[in-house]
Amino acid sequence: MQVEKKAAEEDRGGGAEAVLSLGSSLSIPICYHSSFGLDDDLFLLEVDDKLLPDFLQNRCFKLGVSLQKTLFRFDCEDFCHDHHCCTMGEDARVSIRGQPDEDAVLCTPSSTYAMKFVGTSNSVFLIPPGDVSTSNCKDSCADGDMNRPVIASVYTVAKGNIELIQVAPRLDKLKNLLRERPYKLDEDLIGDPRQEIGLYSWNDLVQLIQASEEELRTALKSLSALEIDGFWRILDDKSMDDTLDMILRNAVLHDWPLSTLKEDSVLSVLEADGFPGTIVSHCLGTHGCKTFVSEGTLCSLDEKQVCLRLAQRVLSKGKMRLENFMEKWELLSATSGMKPDLKMLEGEVLYEKIGVEDWIRAFSVSSLSSSPAERFAALFQERPKWQWKDLEPYIRDVHVPGLSTEGLLIKYTRKTQPKADAEVIFSAR
Amino acid sequence: MQIRVKCNCGEGDCREWAILELQGVVESQPAIGERLQGLEIGRLCCVSEGNYTFTVGYHELSGTKIPLKKPLLVLRKKKGETSGELNSSASSEAELEVIGIIRHRILFKSRPKALISRPLVKDKKAA
Repeated sequence: MQVEKKAAEEDRGGGAEAVLSLGSSLSIPICYHSSFGLDDDLFLLEVDDKLLPDFLQNRCFKLGVSLQKTLFRFDCEDFCHDHHCCTMGEDARVSIRGQPDEDAVLCTPSSTYAMKFVGTSNSVFLIPPGDVSTSNCKDSCADGDMNRPVIASVYTVAKGNIELIQVAPRLDKLKNLLRERPYKLDEDLIGDPRQEIGLYSWNDLVQLIQASEEELRTALKSLSALEIDGFWRILDDKSMDDTLDMILRNAVLHDWPLSTLKEDSVLSVLEADGFPGTIVSHCLGTHGCKTFVSEGTLCSLDEKQVCLRLAQRVLSKGKMRLENFMEKWELLSATSGMKPDLKMLEGEVLYEKIGVEDWIRAFSVSSLSSSPAERFAALFQERPKWQWKDLEPYIRDVHVPGLSTEGLLIKYTRKTQPKADAEVIFSAR
Repeated sequence: MQIRVKCNCGEGDCREWAILELQGVVESQPAIGERLQGLEIGRLCCVSEGNYTFTVGYHELSGTKIPLKKPLLVLRKKKGETSGELNSSASSEAELEVIGIIRHRILFKSRPKALISRPLVKDKKAA
């Protein structure tokens, strides 16, 4: 198809309204805009209707971006050529996040989306809205209205658009960052030349982690992280153990019921022993649930959480005979009036038979990647064949938008059943 | 580097852009070259509600207006100058601005119909 006519030189406005509301039997000339081809800085972003309010509002969003260019992968170099990330502002609702070695993700306040550029071989003419031209050129008149010349101008030809695909937040990095420098009860930051090395504030995490703010908060909670002096930290195991021991010991000493511990009483006693109040309060929250009543805060210690912590301590030295483990675990738990049960250890331990003896060892789901491919690879490296009852606790927390647990199993495992009445066995695909 | 995405309109006020989508490429005559600004491509005619023809030269395309399953936002990259800290030189800062929304496209997916056909030339038979 060849274009032959040359239209009038003056800019005749956009005219998207004229195109979209063109009446029956009327026609309108389509021209190249006077700025056609001069502006390559337009992007088309396909957005679900439910996300529109996050984009269309009278405020700024801030995007911290700088990502490596790859074919068919949305790349922030298309936006800028400066390789520095920025901090998110308080007014940010939608942001694109990632480091130079990461694929870009778009984050709304509650969800994370991968960005994929979808090219097209069609000619996609973009016509902007525009004011009606004052030109009297006869060629430019919409049929039937000689006094109101209307033109639709093609501003650019789109090469494709960016699609958003909801993905699970990329949280493995968060674990690694927080493990760089766990909080120790005896640490003293004053006078430390490396005071802030390995420490991350909320703004640092927002900038570094590819997750929405809601997902980031949930992840921090599930990792039992707390904010200390403006930095998000996890407690090292010894500090958590020492604090929990002290709470349990004092509960026995002062006859405190573990189901209704008065937080104020616990804090006053432990602070007198040199334990920071924030750490004690955090330990209570991690191993139980708090309720707020008129007299103050009551904390009910969760038997499963406490017993799990004690089991991890027993198994910290490595693999042991199941009966030896049970003996030590029950002894530790009994002092605080807890009743341990092996069901409490789902997703935390693996059992194996060596000869006639049963052995147990720590293998925690929290040590595994949140990426399904990496998770299954690690599981099958640990054990080539799994029964469903053993496998389920290790994949329970894997969430892939649009994919059920059944779908995950089909994608990453091979199912075999030696006999009709035998248990199903899962192995690597 | 900080990239801001600005939207100066509310959800109901975002101005709508239009899309004309053709299956193929529109070429200008060699004499015109790259100077396309202001050039008339063709004429869009509404035949009946939702049905259109687009006449480009002596080609006529038939198409329909289709609502998009998901709207498209038109984002524009802007580069501005922002002054940094005191005594520091002005640094280049990129911005993204939502400048429009697209909810429909007019799609011409059929092959173009020729409006001018070459007359048949009958060969004269030698006597």
